[in-house]
Amino acid sequence: MLRRLPPALAALLLLAASAGHAAENITLVSSLPRTGSANVQTTSLVNGIRLAIAEAGGTITVGGTAYTLTYLDWDDASPEAGHWDPAVEIANANKAINDPDVMVYIGTYNSGAAKVAMLPLNQAGLAMVSPANTWPGLTKPGVGEANEPECYRDHGRVTYFRVVPADDIQGQVGAQWAKELGAASVFVLHDRELYGLGIAKMFRLNAEKLGVRVAGFEGIDGKAANFRPLINKIRQSGAQLVYFGGTTETGAGQLAKDLFNAGVQAKLMGPDAFFNKALMAGAGDKALEERVLVTFGGLPPEQQTGKGKAFVDAYRAAYHGEPEGYAIYAYESAKVVLAALAKAGKKDRAAVVAALAGMKDYDGALGTWSFDANGDTTLMVMSGNTVRAGQFAFVKLLGK
Amino acid sequence: MTPRQIAALSCGGLVLLLPVMELLLPNGLKIGSLVPPIMIFAIIGLGLNIVVGFTGLLNLGSAAFMAIGAYAFSVVTCPVHPFQIGFWAGLVVATAVGALAGLVLGLPTLRLRGDYLAIVTLGFGEIVQDVLKNLDAITKGTQGLNPVPAPTLAGYAFTSANYAPWYYLLLALLGGTVWLCANLRRSRTGRTWVAVREDELAARACGIAVVRAKLLAFSLGAALCAAGGALWASLHGTSIEPGFYDFQLSVVVLCIVIVGGLGSIPGVLLGAVIMIGFNSIVLTKLTDLLARHGVSSTNVLASPGNWKYLVFGLALILMMRYRPAGLLPAREVRDELRRADGATPEAA
Amino acid sequence: MSPTEVVLQLLVTGLSNGLIIALIALGYTMVYGIIELINFAHGDLMMLGCFLALTLVGLCGGEAASPWLVIPLLLLAVPAFCAGLNWTVDRLAYHPLRAAPKLTALVSAIGVSFIFVNLGLFWGGLPMGVFAGGTQAAAQKDFPDLIGYRNLLGTQSGLQFTLKDVLVVAVTVPLMASLTWFVRRTRLGTAMRAVAQDPLAARLMGIDTDRVISATFLIGGALAGVASVVFVLANNSLSFWMGYRNGMDAFTAAVLGGIGNLPGAVLGGIVIGLVRATMEGVVPNGGVWSNAVVFGVLILVLAFRPTGLLGSRAREKV
Repeated sequence: MLRRLPPALAALLLLAASAGHAAENITLVSSLPRTGSANVQTTSLVNGIRLAIAEAGGTITVGGTAYTLTYLDWDDASPEAGHWDPAVEIANANKAINDPDVMVYIGTYNSGAAKVAMLPLNQAGLAMVSPANTWPGLTKPGVGEANEPECYRDHGRVTYFRVVPADDIQGQVGAQWAKELGAASVFVLHDRELYGLGIAKMFRLNAEKLGVRVAGFEGIDGKAANFRPLINKIRQSGAQLVYFGGTTETGAGQLAKDLFNAGVQAKLMGPDAFFNKALMAGAGDKALEERVLVTFGGLPPEQQTGKGKAFVDAYRAAYHGEPEGYAIYAYESAKVVLAALAKAGKKDRAAVVAALAGMKDYDGALGTWSFDANGDTTLMVMSGNTVRAGQFAFVKLLGK
Repeated sequence: MTPRQIAALSCGGLVLLLPVMELLLPNGLKIGSLVPPIMIFAIIGLGLNIVVGFTGLLNLGSAAFMAIGAYAFSVVTCPVHPFQIGFWAGLVVATAVGALAGLVLGLPTLRLRGDYLAIVTLGFGEIVQDVLKNLDAITKGTQGLNPVPAPTLAGYAFTSANYAPWYYLLLALLGGTVWLCANLRRSRTGRTWVAVREDELAARACGIAVVRAKLLAFSLGAALCAAGGALWASLHGTSIEPGFYDFQLSVVVLCIVIVGGLGSIPGVLLGAVIMIGFNSIVLTKLTDLLARHGVSSTNVLASPGNWKYLVFGLALILMMRYRPAGLLPAREVRDELRRADGATPEAA
Repeated sequence: MSPTEVVLQLLVTGLSNGLIIALIALGYTMVYGIIELINFAHGDLMMLGCFLALTLVGLCGGEAASPWLVIPLLLLAVPAFCAGLNWTVDRLAYHPLRAAPKLTALVSAIGVSFIFVNLGLFWGGLPMGVFAGGTQAAAQKDFPDLIGYRNLLGTQSGLQFTLKDVLVVAVTVPLMASLTWFVRRTRLGTAMRAVAQDPLAARLMGIDTDRVISATFLIGGALAGVASVVFVLANNSLSFWMGYRNGMDAFTAAVLGGIGNLPGAVLGGIVIGLVRATMEGVVPNGGVWSNAVVFGVLILVLAFRPTGLLGSRAREKV
């Protein structure tokens, strides 16, 4: 057996060698779940990044030297998990750290994945820009865990930035919207994941503040064959609205369907992780039509103006389809990263971090905004959406 | 020297010097940082090998013991909790908790027949995941506990950026585990285990305390799995999340033991290299290669990761068909299979 | 809802879900009874059956298809497919291993299960309308509602009892009854019981054990096929990862009832259905513990009755 090993090893080395590359190169990587039901959303995200790089002509001049821009689209999910996989995320982070050409790590999609990757990237001084993480604790002190966000920051240094507003805002506008719709009592569910549980707690907190009765607060098992027993419980509670802090991958579709099939009149409200086409595929149009309410950070494509509209038009032209909800954030992330690289003036990780931290009044597709001291965007626009005829339809601006 | 010895020696040399030799290589060629997971899984595989290989008890819950180790370690070391006893004490605690968990599960269930025991361990794996997920106050639910400390050795602190210290620490721990397992196998206890595996009834008739032998094997195996879990958590800086330690992971560990050869220590090492190496080296490099050449993974067939289980599955089936004793089988298992073949020639 | 209604509702939901589990459990228990193999791939076989069902419905026009045409078609084609697949897998992967240690065949079954899951993932990428054009291979799929969700007790009733519940009972109960009859009364059934009891003696009595085992795989596969049709009609969804959860529930049901024992598997399925319904529908926040309770019950039952609820006393070799 041992004698058979060397050829195999040689083949492996050959494979690795062909992956090697020349100097004068700056690499951007993204780490997003490319397997599982988030994939449609993340394909659109990756398209957004590619568009930004294509607009720069695939090259960038930093401090007078012209560099080729290499973009690597990494998957942080595994098919068996069906969503992001911590081991893969860690491996991605380490891969990026160990490749000196990598200047920025664009990601992650899931906040749970960010928690895993943030500290190693921070220790390595590699900037991380997320187009989609919404867990408040990643950046803001006092709203997440007791040791957050300090536990992600080696010596308090901020290397993590996000262009999307955090969940404390989303839970608040969701509860506000529920009250405006006249719901006197709500049943709050969550999928026990970091994101879902976090946002469900925010929603509950704000609902109670607004005087909306919380009839129940329960975790669910997203892989259950159906939620019929749970629906019975919800019907008994007489709740007028069901809020699910969860995602399309953790049972949103099945929940919408079971609620509808059991003849429950209460509408289903969910956070931005509902805002993707996989929801339609999983629930069927009938169960969603005017019955599902989705809060989303930022405006849907057709409501965009100015540079935002220019992005939507360019996206349509390049990919012959509509951008998904987060695509514009991915585009904005890549754009702001390129701006920071140019501003940094040298191919150096620390300089890039400093340039990002000093990014003020950036005029981009999302409007004019800055990174604050925590690495958060100063932007806070939210929209409320529903489903009409199998498409997401804008209902109103929230939180203004 | 025989060719086999030369091969073994050069393999050993390669393993010892890999981090040093890599300094000379360009970036795309470096694979050393991907080796520590292989070594951790080799330790876990050796633990399961005591249970399945030596003693013949089918355990489908090794991931649960890994989870118990990872979480026990994280609870006593993570700044979220008041203990913070550091890496080394944490590793000891995790191993002890793992052994205890093995004992607690083993006591009521080890008298069950083989397949019933298998389902009980499988169920135990599900229970552990749920408990860890739901005991939010202690385990932080699906967030996982973090940050979990890396080891410090004589004042030197390990980091995730530099893999070489990890490499040698794990190599030493793995060496220790191999030494332990090899000696156990040759000891009186080891022979008792094999007797139980070969014929429980006959073993009992010969005056062997069968339940005690099984319990010892079970909790030793659990302890090694837990130690592996603790190392895994430390390497990643987080307990990860309960859902990570699922049935699939148990199966991967089982496959490490079976592909290499049930009961065979070199077999387990080779099994870990193949199973984990395929996952973390071959697939990663292949995906990278495709990404660099602009093949995007929108199409489900285009991502090599999506073929993983097909390849795993095929390998297992072919292996069972043509090399049921594993790639580097233990001598007595090989002989036994040969005998079984001879006894029922029409079965093929 | 009055307490009576709560209990009745729990029974309806629990039984309806439990009978589907029981149907899958029968396939496990039959195969185990006869060759002592835990057929790990059984749940995933059922999953592939669900994908075939969705493909067929998609070909018949999806939502618009006539249920009177489609349901009989599904009930014929899907069990036939699953039976054939199960038989083929047995010939290729398990049959050559009959004389090998039990663990060998078990590992082979795990391998088959992996392959099935992977095939399910690829199947989800089929460029068809019902698969969302194949762009979301791994996502959960919606199965068109062919039966409707009208409450048979009227919209004002606090109790939900729909045609779907009727369908589950109408398909599973007669099937289980005829299976029991088949195993007790027919020649092949008697041969199966003989092989289960002692393969060598059965062979000496002139029974073609190979044929009997093949027949068992055919029947077990067909049952999984029926289970998948009932599952998708009742739950209206499928995904490539569903085989594991369903297979595990079914396997637990089989062991709970006493593996190898047909009525035991049905009893086990119903117990699990009811336990889950109670946890998820009555106990506050019980859904998150329902898995743990199911397996807790299993471990408890086995600790006191090591061969399950209806299993015979162990016949260990002497």
